[in-house]
Amino acid sequence: MNTWINKPTRALEEFLQTEYQNLLGNGPFSEGNGFEKLGTYKEIIEEHSHCAGCGVALGIRLAMAALPSPKDTFIVGTPGCSFFSLSQAAVNYSNTAFGNQNAVASGLKRMLSIRHPGEAKDVVVLVGDGGIADIGLDMTLHSWFRGEKITTIMVDNELYGNTGGQESGMSPQGRIMNMAPTGKKFPKIPIYDMAKQSGCCYTAKVAVSNPKALADSVRKAIILAREIGPTYVQIYTPCPTNLKVPSHQTLKMAREAEKGYYGFEEFLSSEGEKFLDAMR
Amino acid sequence: MYAAVRINEIICIGCKKCIYACPDPNVLSFDEETRKVSADESRCKGCGLCVSECPKDAMSIY
Repeated sequence: MNTWINKPTRALEEFLQTEYQNLLGNGPFSEGNGFEKLGTYKEIIEEHSHCAGCGVALGIRLAMAALPSPKDTFIVGTPGCSFFSLSQAAVNYSNTAFGNQNAVASGLKRMLSIRHPGEAKDVVVLVGDGGIADIGLDMTLHSWFRGEKITTIMVDNELYGNTGGQESGMSPQGRIMNMAPTGKKFPKIPIYDMAKQSGCCYTAKVAVSNPKALADSVRKAIILAREIGPTYVQIYTPCPTNLKVPSHQTLKMAREAEKGYYGFEEFLSSEGEKFLDAMR
Repeated sequence: MYAAVRINEIICIGCKKCIYACPDPNVLSFDEETRKVSADESRCKGCGLCVSECPKDAMSIY
């Protein structure tokens, strides 16, 4: 979104919604309105239809607040809970067929680098665990093998949320869910380790209860993807509705997961380390 | 509106923990001059995450 193009003429300003005026006047596109100042400016996402206490909504809200330059960012989504709030966000956004997100993002990134040579245009894939680890696994892995300069962010709620809480590949072993009445039979898909092996220059694993680390890893991932290669961030975002937990315990669940699989962990390739050192 | 958060501004210390815990955008806002958090009740879904995060028990769901 370019604020210069979207600014209305003064004569028409009073007819516009106050939300739109706030977004242009005191929004995330203004200088200095970053993650640290969250709460003092109009946010990039508008009201969305997620459940009360949704971890996915919180993960997306924090990730969107951490975008280094929101007006030059293109978000690619796929069906699932994640796109309920992404379609309400004031960023360039494209929805794709289920699982195609990384293939679409690769094409968009190449197109943008031809259309705007020398400018930093970030293409960010922000989808759920079903889109990356189950249905879109081949597309995701191949975009990493090809070394496409895109950022992939997974909001992992460990189940299929918007269809009623069925088992997904990222559910932990033994968890009882709809379509898994005796418990899931196989462990979580090791997509985080696969990302390291497949050529990602930066990978991070973080829970939604750790907002500073989340913002840091999203920023690093996007900046490294501009120059070096593919990056991957995996965010744990528990689902209170389908795990049958009261809505105020989402962050408690995330903290418990931080003691186990979702403890903060990041990996930076030697090339990426050199790049970040040069920036400092 | 079925349930929404209310903040006791006398107890609030402005630590902003609730702002980083709220899943909905533009509900909680922080005033830099008074160093207090205020809530837009019409946007709140009443999940109670901010209440569970508040270190001073300044928030409650009505």
